[in-house]
Amino acid sequence: MTELIEHTTGTATGPTVELSMQQALNRALRTLLAEDGDTLVLGEDVGALGGVFRVTDGLQKEFGADRVFDTPLAESAIMGMSVGLAMNGWRPVPELQFDGFAYPAVDQIVNQVARMNYRTRGAVPMPITLRLPSFGGIQAPEHHGESLEALFAHTPGLKVAVPSDPGEAYRLLLQSVRCDDPVVFMEPKARYWDRRPVELSEPADPIGTSRVVRPGRHGTLIAWGAMVHRCLQVAELAAEDGVDLEVLDLRWLTPLDTDGLAASVRRTKRAVVVHEAPLTAGLGAEVATRVTDACFGDLAAPVQRVTGFDVPYPAGPLEPQYLPSVDRVLLAVQRTLEY
Amino acid sequence: MPQHASAGRGSISVDHLPPDLTRELYRHMRTARDLDTEAIALQRQGVFPAYVSVRGQEAAQVGSATALDPDRDFVFPTYREMAAAQAHGVDMVDYMASHRALWHGGLYDVAASRFGAVNAVVGGPVPHAVGWAVGERLRGDDGVALAYFGDGASSEGDVHESMNFAGVYGAPVVFFCQNNQWALSVPNDRQVAGGSISARAQGYGMPGVLVDGNDAGAVHAATAEAVARARRGEGPTLIEALTYRVEPHSTSDDPGRYRDGAETERWLRRDPVTLLREAILAAGHADENALAEADAAALQEARRIRDGVAAAPEPDGAELFTHVFRESTDELARQRRTWQEEVEL
Amino acid sequence: MAEENVTFHLPDLGEGLVEATVLDWEAAVGDDVARNDPLVEVETTKSAVVIPSPHEGRVVELHAAPDEVVRVGAPLVTFAVAAPDRPAAGIVGTVPEEEKRPRRRVRLTPPGE
Repeated sequence: MTELIEHTTGTATGPTVELSMQQALNRALRTLLAEDGDTLVLGEDVGALGGVFRVTDGLQKEFGADRVFDTPLAESAIMGMSVGLAMNGWRPVPELQFDGFAYPAVDQIVNQVARMNYRTRGAVPMPITLRLPSFGGIQAPEHHGESLEALFAHTPGLKVAVPSDPGEAYRLLLQSVRCDDPVVFMEPKARYWDRRPVELSEPADPIGTSRVVRPGRHGTLIAWGAMVHRCLQVAELAAEDGVDLEVLDLRWLTPLDTDGLAASVRRTKRAVVVHEAPLTAGLGAEVATRVTDACFGDLAAPVQRVTGFDVPYPAGPLEPQYLPSVDRVLLAVQRTLEY
Repeated sequence: MPQHASAGRGSISVDHLPPDLTRELYRHMRTARDLDTEAIALQRQGVFPAYVSVRGQEAAQVGSATALDPDRDFVFPTYREMAAAQAHGVDMVDYMASHRALWHGGLYDVAASRFGAVNAVVGGPVPHAVGWAVGERLRGDDGVALAYFGDGASSEGDVHESMNFAGVYGAPVVFFCQNNQWALSVPNDRQVAGGSISARAQGYGMPGVLVDGNDAGAVHAATAEAVARARRGEGPTLIEALTYRVEPHSTSDDPGRYRDGAETERWLRRDPVTLLREAILAAGHADENALAEADAAALQEARRIRDGVAAAPEPDGAELFTHVFRESTDELARQRRTWQEEVEL
Repeated sequence: MAEENVTFHLPDLGEGLVEATVLDWEAAVGDDVARNDPLVEVETTKSAVVIPSPHEGRVVELHAAPDEVVRVGAPLVTFAVAAPDRPAAGIVGTVPEEEKRPRRRVRLTPPGE
């Protein structure tokens, strides 16, 4: 196993560290556990193993088995127990090992976590951050490549965050755990190994704001998670053809940054939303509607969606045919250019 | 009775079993062992993205699967039941296709094989066994459902709910827990409150049996009794076969992070294939020559399966859309055209 | 340094040979060998040859005893070698390969300005 090696370089503004997303998340959890004695990390294999993607590596050793602990294998109980911990004043950061294993816990997440604050008229907050390794792209077995964001975004009372690179992962996780509302924190598995310089002192933008990752003039590509990277690839290729695309990382799926979306698309006049999840009732429909409502008069073409198909997430060799490819996104861009 | 802290007795006996049955057990276990070794190699050679070894669990799986009637009964596996599939007569090239990621559930015919699809959500298939078994009773048939699950899955609500249902309906189900003592990195003492999975049977109104999971004959006898009981209409049984996961959880796992290698070494010395081989010789059920022939045949079969799965064609992209519905939709047809125009292009 | 096991399989030592007999191991389990150190002497129907070690590392397992016949392609020896500095996969799946420049077929027409 490769050890977690961090390369620190000093800068004028603060320490910049080159980290993979795994390491950035680990760093954030260490910060959180150190700053608030009420923060707890729990889940299957988060202790001695350090998590199946090493995100909780070393935390049990550093903070003890009372604050970082393995649970038996039962997702619904992990979330239900987190509710009880939160009711008793703790700040739980449960991990459900893979996206597909969140389904057995949906009852607790939707029926309990999401509405406890509402049900109790604010008497019982749920400062729970559910860490959920999510989405496809790693040739994993069945139930290890699901996109559940529409389900959670559609559940009132949950906030949903999806980081797209190590720095974002670091900042968004700090923000999510510090937030007194429940957050579903979806970690894009395919980007876990992506290494970037992370500026540890960089302040986070407010919850619910998107960010422009690459400015452009001719259209906006809207994405979250690993698809942000895909859109950046597309923008590079489009630039070779003289088409200048903006890439907007939505990063908070609830609250959804309608203002940020509108500001971008009003300038570029074209929008393509890209996600891994299936098309029908996917979050792309919501984004497209918001953009259309806000920018109807400015749009040069209808908002396009490039998504997975309405099929169960497929096995390894079919993954590249399911996930939005650069060509599919380019074709959608072309449709907006030709409209 | 084997204790969790020890690796149990140093030998087993098959004196009480028919000689041809012990040879059959050996043939399946040897084949599964060789296929497992080939599968690990295929992962290292980049043919499989990952693999989950069954090494050390061959007796638990083969001993139980051979107690079923493959024409009448139905097996509900999770994802580490390769040796059970082999013993149940599943097409193993098509089974191993799941590990090559050619098709998530495997490519074998689940209905004809009477062996459920490979399933990663542990515990999920256990209620299916109850439903299938109740269905047999409703129709007046005498098939028995056998659900495999592990010590980790025994914590899942689905498993407890299933045992309660089966108890309520008197369903012909064998709940077969392979307790390999490690749910990924979590050992029994932090997984199983009270320390015994089989003891839970009492609360659900069924017999609970703890058996040495590395003793193929003992597993077979215990399962045969549970199957016979279910077939007679006397309801479900919970069997806990105590064994050990000698390999990492998967080919990407690093057990050095969480368990003592000396414990694994002890269990490796109690290898179920070796134990059975020695017991067969001691019982005079076969001689060295016959077992050497069986070894050679098993190796040949394992290599045939290896070559078959390594050479199997990748699925055509159009199969993304083929089995979503029995009666497909216009919308899916439209998306398939999009795929043809934009992905196949 | 992390290690990983690598198994060396008997190569075809001559045109179309299908097997070879192990004559003598020149390395034992636990030995550290350098690449191209003499590893094993084998005899084919054509000749006896010494196979040099294909890896630098520690011998973990010899898969055949002297006088044993080994089929071409069968495991011969397993080495523990220094693992290349690459990220470890999660418990399932693979580490995705980073495309330096993704393949494209679609070309765009810029908007008239």
